[in-house]
Amino acid sequence: MLDEATIARIAEEVIRELTKYGVPAAEHTKQETGEDIDSPESKRETLLTNPQDGEALQKMKRATTARIGVGRCGPRLNTRTMLTLRADHAKARDAVFADVTPNFLEELGLFTVQTCCGDKNTYVTRPDLGRKLCPEAVETLEQKCRKRPDVQIFAADGLSSTAVEANLSRILPVLTDSLTDKGLTVGTPFYVRFGRVGVEDHVAEILGAKVVCVLLGERPGLATAESMSAYLVYNAHVGMPESKRTVVSNIHKNGLAAVEAGAYIADVIGKMLAQKASGVDLKKG
Amino acid sequence: MEEILSVGIDIGTSTTQVVFARFTLDNTAGYFSAPHVTICDKKIVYKSQAVFTPLKTASLIDGAAVRAIVDKEYAKAQIQPTEVQTGAVIITGESARKENAAEVLRQLSEFAGEFVVSTAGPDLESVIAGKGSGAWQYSMRNECLTVNLDVGGGTTNLAAFEDGETISVGCYDIGGRLVRLDKDGTISYSSEAARLAADTVGVSLSVGRRVSAAELERVTDKMAALLAQSVGLLPEEPLLRRVKTAGSSDFQTIRKPSRFFFSGGVAACMENEETNPLAFGDIGVLLGQSIKKTFSALSAPFQPGGETLRATVVGAGSYTTSLSGSTIFYTEGVFPLKNLPVCKLTAEEETDCFEGRTEKLGQRVRRFLQQNQTSELALFLEGKSDPTYKELQNLANAAAAVLEQEVPVPKPLLVSVRRDMAKALGLAMHRCLPDRKLAVIDSVQVGQNDYIDVGRPLMEGLVVPVIVKTLLFG
Repeated sequence: MLDEATIARIAEEVIRELTKYGVPAAEHTKQETGEDIDSPESKRETLLTNPQDGEALQKMKRATTARIGVGRCGPRLNTRTMLTLRADHAKARDAVFADVTPNFLEELGLFTVQTCCGDKNTYVTRPDLGRKLCPEAVETLEQKCRKRPDVQIFAADGLSSTAVEANLSRILPVLTDSLTDKGLTVGTPFYVRFGRVGVEDHVAEILGAKVVCVLLGERPGLATAESMSAYLVYNAHVGMPESKRTVVSNIHKNGLAAVEAGAYIADVIGKMLAQKASGVDLKKG
Repeated sequence: MEEILSVGIDIGTSTTQVVFARFTLDNTAGYFSAPHVTICDKKIVYKSQAVFTPLKTASLIDGAAVRAIVDKEYAKAQIQPTEVQTGAVIITGESARKENAAEVLRQLSEFAGEFVVSTAGPDLESVIAGKGSGAWQYSMRNECLTVNLDVGGGTTNLAAFEDGETISVGCYDIGGRLVRLDKDGTISYSSEAARLAADTVGVSLSVGRRVSAAELERVTDKMAALLAQSVGLLPEEPLLRRVKTAGSSDFQTIRKPSRFFFSGGVAACMENEETNPLAFGDIGVLLGQSIKKTFSALSAPFQPGGETLRATVVGAGSYTTSLSGSTIFYTEGVFPLKNLPVCKLTAEEETDCFEGRTEKLGQRVRRFLQQNQTSELALFLEGKSDPTYKELQNLANAAAAVLEQEVPVPKPLLVSVRRDMAKALGLAMHRCLPDRKLAVIDSVQVGQNDYIDVGRPLMEGLVVPVIVKTLLFG
C-alpha cells in the first residue's frame, strides 16, 4: 500500500524527470495551439496523401469551400478534418445563440424591441412567436417611430447575430443614403431581438410603411456564419403569402459586399414603389 | 436574354477581313441574388473572304479602298452599321506602322458602328489571335499551358495561356510577306528583319535579285528556328532579339507548354499541301513548311488553331468585348465613352483615398493628364472586397474632389473598380457631384498604358459593354 506522502514524492520525482528532459508534454500543447486548424490558410492545405495530380486538386479546392481532398482514415474522417468540422459547427451554433451586443446597436443609434419570445430557447422552438412583436414593442414603435414612411428599414438577429454585427454598420447607412437620394422618406430604424423574417409584416402594419425591409442574419452554414439577407415587401400585412417577398441574399465579405448590397437594395425598392409590387409580382428587369 | 451584334475588322499586313458575331446575354444569378449578367453564347454569323490590304504607297494604306472593302462586306452580310452594338477594328503587323494607320483606323471604326472601337498594339494583337485560334479555350478546358503563334504576313504574335489566364505575350518580325517576289522569282521587296535572318545563312535578299526556292527555304528554315527559340525549344541566339517587334513585350515561358497552336495566314499554308511554293508571290508557303518541319523535328506537340487565317479577326469580333459588373452606376446619357486613357492607381495611392487623404491622388491625376496631354481619363482602382461605410465615403469624396478639380466640365468622369463596389461608390460620388456626367463600373481588369471604351447600357440598363485595349502604332 502507498501512503499519500509516497505518492506525493513519486509525483515530484516524475515532474523533476520531465523538466530535465525538456517537458515534452508542454511542447506538445504548444504545437497543438500554434496552428489554427480552422483558418482559411489551414483549410487550403491538401490533407490527401499522394494525390495523383496535386496541382489540379489545389485548383479545385480554391473553387469551393467544401471539404474536398481531405483524405480519410479507414471509413472515417481524419482527426484534423473532424476537428475543423466541429469548430465550424461550433461557430455556427454560437452565431445562432449569441446576442448582438448592446454597444454595437448603440453606436448605430438603434433602439431594441423584442418579439413575443422571452428567450433564445423559445425563439428557436416557436417560430410563430418570433414573427410577432410583444405588446411593449408595439407601444415603443408607436411612440418612437415616424409613421407612414415610404420605406421602413429595421434589423433583426434572425439566426445569426454574427451576420448582423459583420454587415449592419456597412449596409444600413448606404441604404438610407441611397433611398434619401431618391427622394423617399425613410422610417426610424431599430433592432428586433428574437426576430424572424415574418415580423416585418407586423412592423409594416403598425407603422403603415409602403415598403418594409428587414436586414437579418441567415441561418449559418459550415462555410460562413456572416451571411445576411434583406427581405423586402410592398404593402406587407400579417397573413400575406410568402411569394410577396423579394429577397437579396448572400450579403457578406465573400459574397455581395454589404455597401454594394445597400446601393442595390435601394434600386430594388425604387422599382417596388414604381411597380407597386414585390416578390414574384415584381419585374426585376 | 438579349442578343447583340458584334463586328471584328482586321487590317493586317497582307489581308483585310471582317466577321460578325452574335452574343447572347443572360442574367445567370439565382432568383435570390443580385443580378449577374454574362455573355453566355457567342456565334460567328458571317465571315468575309480575306482580301489583300490595299496600299497607296509603300508607307500609306489606301483608306478609301479599305473602307470600300468593309462597306461591301456589310452589304454582303446584309448588316447595317447601325445594327452593330459592339466590336473592334484592329490594325496589325506592318499595317500598324504605316504613316496613316491611326487615321484609317479612326475613320473605319466610326463608319463600322457607334461602339466599334479602334485598337492597335502588338501585345493586344497576340492575345486576340490566341483567343481567336482556340489556344486560350484549350488551356482553360484542359487546365494546362498553351502557346499560340499567330504567323501573319509581317509579324508573329505569341501568347501563352495557362488555365485561361494570359501569362505572357510577345511579337517578332517574322512573317510570310517579309519577302515578296515577281512571277519570275525576282525579289520586289524584302524587310529588314528578313534580310537579317538571310544574312546568317548566306542568302542575299536585295531587291531586283532572282532567288531560287531552295535559297528562300534556307531563310524560312532560319525563321522557323527563331520561332522555336522564342518559345524555348532551342537555345536563343542573339539574332532573336534583333527581330523582336518594337514596342512588344518580352515573351517568356517558364516551362514547356502542353501544346502549341498555329494561326495566321502562314498556319493556313501549313495545313494545305500547296505544291507551288511561290504561289502567293511571297515566302508564306515555304515558311509554313519550315515551321512544320522544325517543330516536328523537335517533337513539340503542335496543331493548327480552330481558326488559322481568321484567328485575329475572329478574336477581334468575339473576344474584345467584355461586360461590366451588374451593379454599376451611371448618369443618363453618359455613354458611349471612347478612347479614355487608364490611370491605374498604386496600392499606396488607393490606401490614402480609403483613409481620406487626397494629395497623392491629386498629384497623380495632374501628372497623368499632363504626361498624356489629355483632359480626360478613366481612373482605375482595385477597390476592397468588403469596405466599411467610412472607407466608401472617404474614397468617394477623394475621387469626386480630385476629378472635379482636374477634369474640366463638360468632360464625363469614369471610375473603374476591380472589386464589386461600383454602385455604392457611384451613388456616393454622385451625391458630391450631382451635376457632373459620371459613370462608375466594376469587375473590369486593366493594365498600365491601356485605354478603355464603354458602350451604351444593355439588359435594361444592368450592364455596359467594355473594351480594354491598347493604341500603339509602330
